Amino acid sequence: MHQIPALPGRLIPYQAVGGAENMAIDQMLLESVETTGRSTLRLYGWADPTLSLGYFQSVDERWRHSHSSTLAVVRRATGGGAIVHHHELTYSIATLLDSSSIGANQILYDRVHQSMIRALADLGVSATTFGQSGCRLLGDCPFLCFMRRSDNDLVVSGYKVLGSAQRKSRRAILQHGSLLLGASEFAPELPGVSDLTGRSVTIDQIATRFTTHVQNQLSVADGPGVAWEAAGLTPTEQSRAEEILESRFGAAKWTDRR
Amino acid sequence: MTRDESKLLYAETHEWAEITEEGADKIATIGISAFAIEQLNDLVYMDLPEVGRVLAVGDEFGEVESVKAVSPLYSPVAGEVIEVHSELPDTLERLNEDPLGHGWIIKIRISDDSGIDSLMDYAAYKKQCSEAG
Repeated sequence: MHQIPALPGRLIPYQAVGGAENMAIDQMLLESVETTGRSTLRLYGWADPTLSLGYFQSVDERWRHSHSSTLAVVRRATGGGAIVHHHELTYSIATLLDSSSIGANQILYDRVHQSMIRALADLGVSATTFGQSGCRLLGDCPFLCFMRRSDNDLVVSGYKVLGSAQRKSRRAILQHGSLLLGASEFAPELPGVSDLTGRSVTIDQIATRFTTHVQNQLSVADGPGVAWEAAGLTPTEQSRAEEILESRFGAAKWTDRR
Repeated sequence: MTRDESKLLYAETHEWAEITEEGADKIATIGISAFAIEQLNDLVYMDLPEVGRVLAVGDEFGEVESVKAVSPLYSPVAGEVIEVHSELPDTLERLNEDPLGHGWIIKIRISDDSGIDSLMDYAAYKKQCSEAG
């Protein structure tokens, strides 16, 4: 089994910035944790509605989805389908991993997604993993991530509301995901938690509860939970994120690589 | 043509290497171990390097997307990429059946032997895999 190191970590509080900057910060955190050994949970939003492509998706595929055609596009470093980022809470978590580990880290998926299930339950929203829902979806691979299904995804009333993806480095792993809070006019076919339940779930409400549950899920196994330190990026990290923004996520060469 | 896994060398990161001699050159043929292929659980995409790329030991030479994760591939030896298996990304479904034959990914003309000594033989690699659980 792949073990998650039980370390007190850092919490980067919610902030909405540009799409490419968001991806650059996540990549920087993946690099940074190999040096510092300190896990980081980051909560964020998107300053403008943005379409993110999965790492292996072709940029031309975006024209399959007319509603999002006017949005800025960024290519993620993680796989999966395209996401319209608008009314959502986005999270990322970067943590150390054994260099001999292979493939997806199921423990991280399980613990983070269980944290979200509990956070939603605190707000009266019943969510379950797709794998436990008993539903099955057959057919072609859709362009949009939230039209796809995998067992780890969270669903409410049969609709996917949370999907996550991982990117590995030699000794660390980054997992990030989006919780759909409300439908966007740029992807009207995808309802969010508020649309599905009639409850107004705000970013503040879900962020606070999610953070608490993640702290408990990823803390020392024999302890009740260790509070992560709320802190922003160091000047070195900020500088590195800017380098990555310029050389990768903000560069046409990266976005158009496929 | 498949290969005898007991005669290959292995990196900690699960790449296998077959070292052969072609004239004055030592050539490393690189792939992903059968154990790793099984753990990755359905590769859907693979990125390959370009021929001519010069790699140091441990350099990333490609990436794979398996179910829910993108993972780098690391070069177990130092040298120049002289051949890539260009049809492999379109035939990943054959990797499960033949990870050591059809599953070769790149060939490297070795420039420096130093990385070879730190590779594991099959027994050591099997031990690593069993300890990982």
